[in-house]
Amino acid sequence: MNQLNNGFTIFLSLLVEAMPFLLLGVLFSSTLLFFVDERKLVEKMPKNPLLGALVGSMVGFLFPVCECGNVPVARRLLMQGVPTPVAVGFLLAAPTINPIVIWATWTAFREQPEIVVLRVVFSLLIATIIGCVFSVQTDLQPIVQPAIARYLKFNPPVQPDAKRRGRSSPKDKGSSSLLRPGTYILGGRAGGMPTRLDANLTPASDTSSSNSKPFRDKMRLLLDNSVQELRDLGAVMIIGSAIAAAIQVLAPRELILSLGSGPITSILVMLVLATVVSICSTVDSFFALSFAATFSSGSILAFLVFGPMVDIKSVGLMLSLFKPKTIFYLFALAGLLTFLFTLFLNLHVI
Amino acid sequence: MTKSQIPSKFLSWLDVLAITAWGVLLLRYWLTNKLNLLIHPNYFWLVIVAGIVLLIIGFAKAQELWRLRPQVIAPNSQHITLFAPGWGSGLLLTTAILGFIITPQVFASDKALQRGVTDLLSTSRLQPQSFRASVRPEERSLVDWVRTINVYPEPDSYIGQKAKVQGFVIHPPDIGNEYIFLARFVLTCCAADAYPVGLPVKLGTNQERYAPDTWLEVEGQMTTETLSGKRQVTIAATSLKKIPQPENPYSY
Repeated sequence: MNQLNNGFTIFLSLLVEAMPFLLLGVLFSSTLLFFVDERKLVEKMPKNPLLGALVGSMVGFLFPVCECGNVPVARRLLMQGVPTPVAVGFLLAAPTINPIVIWATWTAFREQPEIVVLRVVFSLLIATIIGCVFSVQTDLQPIVQPAIARYLKFNPPVQPDAKRRGRSSPKDKGSSSLLRPGTYILGGRAGGMPTRLDANLTPASDTSSSNSKPFRDKMRLLLDNSVQELRDLGAVMIIGSAIAAAIQVLAPRELILSLGSGPITSILVMLVLATVVSICSTVDSFFALSFAATFSSGSILAFLVFGPMVDIKSVGLMLSLFKPKTIFYLFALAGLLTFLFTLFLNLHVI
Repeated sequence: MTKSQIPSKFLSWLDVLAITAWGVLLLRYWLTNKLNLLIHPNYFWLVIVAGIVLLIIGFAKAQELWRLRPQVIAPNSQHITLFAPGWGSGLLLTTAILGFIITPQVFASDKALQRGVTDLLSTSRLQPQSFRASVRPEERSLVDWVRTINVYPEPDSYIGQKAKVQGFVIHPPDIGNEYIFLARFVLTCCAADAYPVGLPVKLGTNQERYAPDTWLEVEGQMTTETLSGKRQVTIAATSLKKIPQPENPYSY
């Protein structure tokens, strides 16, 4: 009984600590939809692969999205013609390299500032390296989904059209709705058409053309977007916190200690955990915190770096952008690089 | 896949309820002084602001739902969420209700023992921080003592110093019958990372007199003892006084 209450207290403390950051992330990303003009941003992207990947990785500062929102943005960037390294860099690094996530990590690991710094440095390094690797592929056709390739070849980026709003024929869903921001999920078991998580907004919901909308409508849009993201991400956060609390209370201490102190096993366990738990990057540092006492610093970093890059939730979404092979390479490369970096840390530094 | 309007309206109200409930829960923890059982005081303001903002969002959404006609709210029937409709907000609401019912508990000796007695008796996670080295020994708190000993670990240099500390009792299994362990939990962020620190106390009597989790104020002199095969700074108690559990049981 005591065990249960301890577990519940840990669970609640994780939630209470994480809730403000989740709220901040949701409000920030909802608000920024109004202010950042990605078309102008695309024009300014450097063409050099290394520089492009680096800049792409840092664009997260302008789009403080966690991994739930970065795929649609990466997809839009790619369709609007940014170089691949920029899009890949953004896809991998944006969930980590943004002010809210950095602040949340700092909150959680105040006593170990090196975790905060290394999280940013490693994420940036890995995203840039993978971005550069992908820059070798100049022809996008083999790596992206045929629908996107066709789109890139024959269709110029769609300007949001006022006429389209208010209609929702199935054809519209196939193209223009994908250009909208927000959280998406694949519909149907067989991996059908991606659907916007907040697709039930009223017709005024087309944010890309919302600049002309009156203030009142904008506020309503902001409100609706926030409520839906809070509901969906909040639920994921609850499940993640419950897992963390359960592991802390239920897992035999000897097992955790033996797994957590080995330089290799600890990293592998945390990499698997990062993949399985798929908790939002704005709150994942609190999840990792509950392992900080028993797991090596390298493995905590592995969780914090790899977790935002790979996300089971968004694999379906990524499939709407890349071919399965590409996603596999992307994840494998990210996993390997994270493993190597953090192993070096475990063996030689800490 | 047409849904009637009533369930979708119900789902929208469920969102409102879940968000508002969380706002109320956060503010309630603050007003009932329970926040210090959950998180570090540095972040109280964040939680308070979050509670207020959640309430604002909840009320704004409620107002919108109230004003709009049902057919306007009726969501797109194609709507597919990460969870089945109502699940996300249902989960949020259920957790908030559990939060209202179950009071968070102060960690006690069982939790400290689960964290590992070996940790208690050898190293702790405390890193050297700013502390006043000039503090008179009897004014040091338990955490100050552990910090000091971490920085200057030579047990002999403390022999004879006076100590007056407060903490709760733990009975580690591999410590002698004449000893107890006096501990406090330290929080750096939230209860999930609470870890115990403390010192062994040498009693004149059997440890059974002081049940686990009893809060004590111990006065005595520092000495060294070999416990679990390791030389430890130990408090040789001259007086042990039972005290009520402090309002804020954690150290930071």
